[in-house]
Amino acid sequence: MGYFQLVNARPAEVLEPDVEDATKFDKPWIVIVWNDPINLMSYVTFVFQKLFGYSLEKATELMLDVHHKGRAVVSNGSRERAEFDVYRLHEHGLWATMEHETL
Amino acid sequence: MNKGPVVRTKNGAYKLSLPKDHREVLTHLITQLRDSLLNTTDDASLRRLFPTAYHNDAKKDAEYQRLMREELLASRLSSIEISLSVIARHDELSESEIDAFARSINSLRLVLGTTLDIAESDYGAQNIPNETSTGSVDEKTNSLDIEQDDEEPVQRELYEYLGWILEWTVGAQSEAL
Repeated sequence: MGYFQLVNARPAEVLEPDVEDATKFDKPWIVIVWNDPINLMSYVTFVFQKLFGYSLEKATELMLDVHHKGRAVVSNGSRERAEFDVYRLHEHGLWATMEHETL
Repeated sequence: MNKGPVVRTKNGAYKLSLPKDHREVLTHLITQLRDSLLNTTDDASLRRLFPTAYHNDAKKDAEYQRLMREELLASRLSSIEISLSVIARHDELSESEIDAFARSINSLRLVLGTTLDIAESDYGAQNIPNETSTGSVDEKTNSLDIEQDDEEPVQRELYEYLGWILEWTVGAQSEAL
């Protein structure tokens, strides 16, 4: 049984929020894709379109940000949503991480 | 007209067109990947298949990995099984089957690229479909062990070949978007 199913079926498995989470409650989590020299540019663009429904133009822009700037924020939201997106990106072989958005 | 190894058919399915020796090499490589995933826990060449999720919080990342690593492993193994079936077949393939195939080919590239220590300076060349990669795969690839360092020229040829396959696969999939 997967983590996300566990979260829904067995709430006791979810960790209690720590102090840091509480103080940053109003800030969304962001999902970052990092540059790597292995993934094909066309593949990265396609994955952005497929997972997030971005247009070809938007997906290409994000891919180029990853390539030229080293990283790009591809989604944001709750911690659970960000973990879900990170997992899907990992499934597709992209180097994705998440962090609290900084002002 | 699309004449590559992966095409999208008129009815929205997909077709894989590869000669027998190419199919044998892909089967060999993907089987090797499956065996490595099943038998190895900390092989450095596999690290790109299980990335960090929280890059600035080791505690949260450890918890994430504890909960998600097995799920990610199961997903990769499932894609591999589907891919082995896809490579053995000559009939039409579904969207989910070609997607599993693409992810397995990409996983192979990540492992080979890590083994070869592919750098940013290699990036441009490997993103351009290489006509030289379309030729027949050398017989010696049938005995390739992707973990052996002295096989680097063969590994690099395979890496480029997998990039060529993936480029065509993504092109076909993109037609459905």
